[in-house]
Amino acid sequence: MLAALEALPPVEALRFSRWSYAAVSAGHVLGIALLVGGAVPLSLRLLGFFPSVPLAGLVRILAGTAGAGLALALLTGILLFATRAAEYAGHPLFPVKLAFVGIGAASAIQIHWRYGRDLSTAPKRDLRRAGAVSCLSWIAALAMGRLLAFVDID
Amino acid sequence: MRHIAAVIGLAALAIVQAGGLAWAHHGWSWTTGGNIELIGIVKSAKLGMPHGVLEVDAEGEVWTVEVGQPWRNERVGLTPDHFAPGVELKIVGEPSANLGDKLLKAERIYIEGKEYVLYPNRS
Repeated sequence: MLAALEALPPVEALRFSRWSYAAVSAGHVLGIALLVGGAVPLSLRLLGFFPSVPLAGLVRILAGTAGAGLALALLTGILLFATRAAEYAGHPLFPVKLAFVGIGAASAIQIHWRYGRDLSTAPKRDLRRAGAVSCLSWIAALAMGRLLAFVDID
Repeated sequence: MRHIAAVIGLAALAIVQAGGLAWAHHGWSWTTGGNIELIGIVKSAKLGMPHGVLEVDAEGEVWTVEVGQPWRNERVGLTPDHFAPGVELKIVGEPSANLGDKLLKAERIYIEGKEYVLYPNRS
């Protein structure tokens, strides 16, 4: 099934391209930059740093851009994965990376589902938990993703 | 105080960048830095981005050889046919610093007497 994915004409075209692959790869990095660049400062505020900074505005801006970054990273990530699906699926760190992405996404979805866009009604305890999970999981996901090229499949 | 911190920060950045130029070996940091020659027959090839990989049988030993990206190979006239199973080739390149890996990154490839230079700035 993974081999069939790799053999799809648009996927093969991407695998053998130069600038298209470069663009998808750059898009993936941009998505991660927006995601982590938004999630980490927001997490610090959720954890209680910069208490004089109003929460609502910060959440709306950074959660929004981080969410857009996640969407971009997911889209480009699927394309990148497809070019070498069997290889990535067999890599020991790949499921670990996906697990951290899943944890980060689930935590964000859960707290916004419960307390809305700007989290104005969320108790401090929930904000702190969300901040801690967000900070740790997105940085871990980034680290796992970068380490893929440095760790062997065997 | 803030100005001093900014100057120190910028200076540190400049030093790291200057040092970084000498280490612009993106993708080579794991090699020994020197060249070896490998002669063998292609067992299998997995080409495409981010880099192509061959399995080469060199007198019974199976080596993994990293060849260029598709554009890098095309630039010197190498096509997937050049890496078909059974093709005999000579590779000059840098091996993994961990010699037991039997892993090699190709700089120059020789097929049927013709030389294909993947990395012209490396010797």
